[in-house]
Amino acid sequence: MLTFLGLTALLIKIGLVVGISQGAVAYLIYVERKIAAYAQDRIGPNRCGREFGVPLGLIQPLADGAKMILKEDVIPKYVHKPTFILAPMIAIVTATIGFAVVPFGPVGAGAPRLGADWPVQFQIAPGVDIGIVYILAIGSLAVYAVVLAGWSSNNKYSFLGGLRSSAQLISYEIPMGLSILGIVLLAKSLDLNTIIEWQDRHGWGIFWQPVGFLIFLVSAFAETNRLPFDLPESEQELVGGFHTEYSAMKFGMFFLGEYLHVITVSFLTVILFFGGWDLPFVLSADQTSWISAIFKVIVMMSKVSLMIVFIMWIRWTLPRFRYDTLMNLAWKSLLPLGLLNLTITAVAAQMILGG
Amino acid sequence: MIQSIFLLFSAIGLMAALGTVLSRNLVRAALWLVAFFFIIAVQFVLLEAEFLAAIQVLVYIGAVAILLLFGIMLTRNIQGDETTSASLNTKLIFGALGLALFAVLATAIVSHKGTPERPAWSKIQGRPDDEAGRDGVLTRKDTINNMAKTVGDEMMTRFVIPFEIAGLLLTVALVGAVALARQVGADEPIDRVRKAGFTRDDAPANGSPEGVAEAPGAVASPSH
Repeated sequence: MLTFLGLTALLIKIGLVVGISQGAVAYLIYVERKIAAYAQDRIGPNRCGREFGVPLGLIQPLADGAKMILKEDVIPKYVHKPTFILAPMIAIVTATIGFAVVPFGPVGAGAPRLGADWPVQFQIAPGVDIGIVYILAIGSLAVYAVVLAGWSSNNKYSFLGGLRSSAQLISYEIPMGLSILGIVLLAKSLDLNTIIEWQDRHGWGIFWQPVGFLIFLVSAFAETNRLPFDLPESEQELVGGFHTEYSAMKFGMFFLGEYLHVITVSFLTVILFFGGWDLPFVLSADQTSWISAIFKVIVMMSKVSLMIVFIMWIRWTLPRFRYDTLMNLAWKSLLPLGLLNLTITAVAAQMILGG
Repeated sequence: MIQSIFLLFSAIGLMAALGTVLSRNLVRAALWLVAFFFIIAVQFVLLEAEFLAAIQVLVYIGAVAILLLFGIMLTRNIQGDETTSASLNTKLIFGALGLALFAVLATAIVSHKGTPERPAWSKIQGRPDDEAGRDGVLTRKDTINNMAKTVGDEMMTRFVIPFEIAGLLLTVALVGAVALARQVGADEPIDRVRKAGFTRDDAPANGSPEGVAEAPGAVASPSH
């Protein structure tokens, strides 16, 4: 049972994670605009805040947020109102609660201690031993936001966006699950911390599962609805896709949800394939001091930031897929490749590494 | 305490199930069904089977119900058509079928005999003790701590035949669906439309024969 102190610590952790991730999203939008500007040989936002002596337009995110909140929130007359209001909530809730099992630093035996018997776990729910299944389950709920938004808008473009999205997300969930199973088989655990510790001892997952990494990366792009796969909202074909009818903060919630998904996917990539907080020859699970813990958190965050920048870079590098090629990629390339990879991994894990 | 919470959620689940049956709009019925699946996941959590709860959400809510919604939305009008009204006779037949299924399941559960290690289901009063397990039988604690492993082991040993039959059933359904959708020798759908000539009623008089509507004149604006 939870003690009072434990509950307070938990609430503080939840507040920190939610606050930091939402704040990070605001600045991710700024970073994305800067990267977009760089890719298109423009300057990007650089004015906002100049009057107060803030350089580089760094308070642009504040202005964006204020705009989202202060705009008029239009609910058209012809929409199905309960679902119309529910959809953006689902988008942001599913994107946020995935963080419950994401480790941000050392957890378990490697966690630093306050005093003699107060280990400080860098994770909201450190006891969950099915972390990866939980994240996949929560991720699969994100489809509902898009489908319900598209359906309740009562608008053909929104509706088509919702349909495209449900087909796309269901298709790419399968190769994503298959690609994760390989590393789960090797580490023999569904717990994200155990997977990190296994990589700490045996080397990063990308060297053990290069094919799995490739499949995971492609599926992750598709699951986040980001540019090579942003068919649900492709503006040249569908006006705005599933969020055509949404305005003000309801649109903002979809936007926040998308960027939170990018963060979750980056965390997952780093944890599964780039060793989490691990830095070869420098950091290991045996170090439990506070200095090493802070260093581990910094390493983890740097890797995640690099991954996020990579995702944004891809956005301005590749053009959008056509719908049939998108489906062909999932069902005719990624799925057989994932099955093959899983079979070979299972045989190798049993024969070479010993069951 | 836990039992009253369990009963409370069961009551909510029953209401969601009733909503599924009584909704006149198919999409709303599907959403009630999603709520019902959620209650099942909650009950798994209350029974300390978190792995099963996560799988329930992943498979039933994340895949099955979405496919259901997808199918409904693809085949009906966008909104508002009340399509679930059936004649009284049909309702009676399906109600009788539902009751018959309930009777079969209830009889099976009540008349379960059990083995020396596993008492009959109707004899079980509360949750088995942690210490009650004997040699070769998993204790409750082991099962809870290694839920994924236990489920895998049981699927491959004790329940292997039901598991394989369920797999076969799904394969049959899949093959059937493919056979229905793909007629032998038929071309790709778009070619069939071309051969048949363009016959859609709502097509504009000067529409292109392929039925591909001109792209809406949306000005492509950079989204950021």
